[in-house]
Amino acid sequence: MHFLNALTVLAQEEETSGGLSLVLPHPEELIAGILAFLIVFFFVWKWALPTINKTLEARQQAITAQIDEAEAAKREAETLLTDYKAQLADSKAEGNRIVEEARVAGDQMKSEIISKANDEAEQLIAKARTEADTEKSRALADARREVGELSVELAGKIVGESLDPKAHQDLVDRYLADLEKM
Amino acid sequence: MDDRTVSYANGILELARAEGEADRVENELFEIAQALDKSPELRSALTDPQLPIERKQAVIADLLGARASATTVGIVQYIVSQGRISELPDVATALVEKAAEARSKALAEVRSAVPLDDITIERLTTALSKATGKSVEVKVIVDESVIGGIVARVGDTVIDGSIARRVDSLRQALNTR
Repeated sequence: MHFLNALTVLAQEEETSGGLSLVLPHPEELIAGILAFLIVFFFVWKWALPTINKTLEARQQAITAQIDEAEAAKREAETLLTDYKAQLADSKAEGNRIVEEARVAGDQMKSEIISKANDEAEQLIAKARTEADTEKSRALADARREVGELSVELAGKIVGESLDPKAHQDLVDRYLADLEKM
Repeated sequence: MDDRTVSYANGILELARAEGEADRVENELFEIAQALDKSPELRSALTDPQLPIERKQAVIADLLGARASATTVGIVQYIVSQGRISELPDVATALVEKAAEARSKALAEVRSAVPLDDITIERLTTALSKATGKSVEVKVIVDESVIGGIVARVGDTVIDGSIARRVDSLRQALNTR
């Protein structure tokens, strides 16, 4: 009870001589504290802050560079994609063109082959016809000559055999008559 | 006709004249030549190189002995011995031409399918003389290939009135058609 009494006395005392003086440091203690704070502040401001700033700046730059890089890579990829698409379209067009050309060439070749075959067939037919005609006329001529020869030979024989002495004499007389007229 | 044929003809003519048988030898040789012309068997026998000359000469003697003059037989045998019997027709023709020439006549070789009588030969002589402008002497050759009518040759002139010629022209007409 004594202690409590003492505190109460103290509190009464404080209240009486100003309460703040209890919380506030002593002025010398305050000056020392400010000095110490200033010294610490100075060191921090002078060396620690620039280092931290530098580090932060470097980090920021690195991030910006990475972002730029990523953007460049993206742009490059887009360009590549566009090129690739263009090439693909070109390739498709080229492929279509080649197929079309091949088809046209094939058609042309087909019609050429057909027309050539037709021509050849016509030529063959014409040649065969000419040969047949030639052969026919030759055979006819041969037959005609043969028949002629035979007829003449036969005629000669028949005339020779049918000539009696009087006919012979008549022939001789006619010859003489013609001769005497010369 | 080559030189040897003409020389033979001249020689034979001289020889026959020397024997005084010119006309007979001439006619006989002409007939023999015609016989040779018509008989391929006789011709091949007389030209056969396997047959000895003596054998050929014996054949000539057998064939001609009785009919022809000794001079003619001798001449033919000589020609056979020289191996020139194939030239006899040419020699005979040359001989007849030479003989006719010697009589200032031209030879008219007349081919007929049948033998001709004397009157016809006479008329032929006159007509051919007139037609050719030469005095001709007619020699008749019987040739069946003439068929009918007459073919007369005087030198290079041929007057053809034969059936054979007409048949020939018929054949040509048929061939060229």
